[in-house]
Amino acid sequence: MTGEDEDYDVVIAGAGVNGALIAKHLTRAGLRVLVLEAGPATALSFDGYWRHPDHCYAATSKGPESTWPPAVGAPRPEVADIRSGTGYIASGGPDKYGNSYPRAQGGPTLHWPGVCLRMLPEDFQLRTRFGVGHDWPLAYADLEPYYRRAEHEIGVAADVADQAHHGIEFPDGYDYPMHRIPLSFSDQVLADTIDGMRVSLGGESFALRVRSNPAWRNSIPRRDGNTSCTPICPIEAKYNAGKTLAQADRGNLRLLAQAVVSKVRVDPASGMVEGIEYQRYADPGSPRHTTGVARGRAYVLAAHAVENARILLASGLGRGDTLIGKGLIDHPALCAWGLSPVPVGAYRGPLSTAGIEDLRGGAFRARHAAFRFDIGNDGWRATTGAPDTSVADAVTRQGLYGTRLRDHLAATLPRHVRFSIAIEQLRSQANTVTIDPRYLDALGNPRPVISYHIDDYTTAGMAAAAEVCAQVFEQAGITDCTDPEAGTWFPSVSRDGRVFRYHGMGHFAGTHVMGRRAWESVVDTDQRSWEHRNLYVVGSGSFPTMGTSSPALTTAALALRTAEQMTVTVGTLIKAF
Amino acid sequence: MSTAEPVADRLDRFVVMSALLTGFGPVYLLGTGMADGYLRATDAALPAGVLDELLDAFGRLGTGPAGPGGTDLETAAGQAILGDAKLGPVARNVILLWYRGSWTALGEEWRSAYGASPLDTDHLVSAEAYQAGLQWVAAGPHPAPPRQYGYGAWAFPPARRTGRAPGTASVKLPRRSGAPHAPERVP
Repeated sequence: MTGEDEDYDVVIAGAGVNGALIAKHLTRAGLRVLVLEAGPATALSFDGYWRHPDHCYAATSKGPESTWPPAVGAPRPEVADIRSGTGYIASGGPDKYGNSYPRAQGGPTLHWPGVCLRMLPEDFQLRTRFGVGHDWPLAYADLEPYYRRAEHEIGVAADVADQAHHGIEFPDGYDYPMHRIPLSFSDQVLADTIDGMRVSLGGESFALRVRSNPAWRNSIPRRDGNTSCTPICPIEAKYNAGKTLAQADRGNLRLLAQAVVSKVRVDPASGMVEGIEYQRYADPGSPRHTTGVARGRAYVLAAHAVENARILLASGLGRGDTLIGKGLIDHPALCAWGLSPVPVGAYRGPLSTAGIEDLRGGAFRARHAAFRFDIGNDGWRATTGAPDTSVADAVTRQGLYGTRLRDHLAATLPRHVRFSIAIEQLRSQANTVTIDPRYLDALGNPRPVISYHIDDYTTAGMAAAAEVCAQVFEQAGITDCTDPEAGTWFPSVSRDGRVFRYHGMGHFAGTHVMGRRAWESVVDTDQRSWEHRNLYVVGSGSFPTMGTSSPALTTAALALRTAEQMTVTVGTLIKAF
Repeated sequence: MSTAEPVADRLDRFVVMSALLTGFGPVYLLGTGMADGYLRATDAALPAGVLDELLDAFGRLGTGPAGPGGTDLETAAGQAILGDAKLGPVARNVILLWYRGSWTALGEEWRSAYGASPLDTDHLVSAEAYQAGLQWVAAGPHPAPPRQYGYGAWAFPPARRTGRAPGTASVKLPRRSGAPHAPERVP
């Protein structure tokens, strides 16, 4: 070991939203906290933030990770690598897992669209209500106060009246901290034609409605319609975890970037964690590094659902039949794109300002997955690479130029419509994050190996979603232009001879599941490891189910709940030792 | 039809040609601030002399006799240049450059027939080029993202249903010989 050893009250691995929220509250409670971030640092103030967008604009590919420079010591999945079957994540099949995540200070909040839905009360009771999947060891009511706190921490823009559906309840007098984001013109045109239309799922009838998205902002600069929420919001109008880190008690916080956690050291006698080994690199372009051990009274893995599992497994933790890494869930999503009969002003505004939430719950969940429509304002950008590809098609294939080219683009681009339909997935032991000594990164750390299978419950949901989507297109007079072959990469899955093309939403979850009893879970309801009582493993990896909501708000609510428990528990540990 | 004065300024000739190719007026194109950079990027990505050949071909369009009923320059450009095996692909690349901010590598067939520059690769010219892409303006009255145009502006209909931005007139060039810049027709 060449690095200096340090002692803290709490050592946190990961400076994403979970690590940031926990660090903020523990430092404010007077605890001394070290945060180790595997990736490079990012700006904590708007002064420094300005350098980030330029890096993205200059990149040839505008993929989600384009803004953030890669680091040899903390490699990350890149969308292009996943397509080619190479790169950081090794695929164990059978289905493709087309997802990426950044490794940098801020985590996935660096490039997310910022939709922050609460889970439905029924999502917490899938087994009890529908006889499928699992129940959470917590009820919606247990988490509700933390949802409210998370919405205020992060600065969610929404109206209670829009969000109270499917039994989602708010206490009397509650309001979100920021006004809702105006619906895009595109949303309004769609609402004019489809609000109130009825669709049937397994004999149950549902009325559809275009509903405003709750959006994470917490921003002084207002959203200004850059249409660039991913890869990066150029004016930092959108929340990222750096805003929370900046609110920590900086006197009690040490933030160490470019410090890769390689191993959690456990005392074999007590089972308690006694240190976290890390590798520090000075140059992101080189694998040269020094090593160190960080010590605390308590430890938090907040490194990402995949990374948490990977670190635990690389540390040799978990017994033969361990649940660590087992039960990965996500939202395989169908995409549909078309031409509206009228200009809807595509390519303007935040990437998405509305969705259709009505099919996220219902009795049909006994038979197939629920689903949620996200309505894009970004035209066909995500699905075909438009407008670049539309221009190339017009110029190269159609031979257009001059005023005819410009008129053609003006007549078509503003009519581009895109839906992404996130489909629910249930926990399955077939979906795993494992490690394999054959797959190591430049620092010698094992890379994640992901085995992924989309089961019949989810493909039946895909079939239902595709049917509803066709009805919505017809009702709205939208010409379906969906063509996965011509689009950006969409792997396929088959059911009853029908092929569905999907893409990942980056909603990794379920890899260190929470439960009431040690034998059926990795962490308890405080996200505290059953086996190592001074270790907390936090994030969407703790989710037993995810329903159809993006995981960010629920993970933030859980992190706040864990921070609250830790201020008590760690205080006790300090007194005890 | 008088003979045109030779246009001394190569940049002007590039802009006039670009206006014809893109459907955006020369004043608008100059206003993007990208013209000089695009001229240099195009030169760098082509074998020596090819861009001058293209500029000369465009220069000749304005000096020939007017066809019956006055064939407009745009149609004439299509007949004389866009269909040409050597100059057509280069002209299309200039269009893509203005609309997308990126140079597109010419095909292998073209390169083996006419020569190759080592800089003839798929590449974005600069961060500014991405933002200045004409595609964003063609899509509607949006100054290229990521640029702000006001909180909540996305809630309003596109300013014109045709998506044509104000102040960027059609560039149907009048047949005037020796005119390096076609006058803007402001709608």
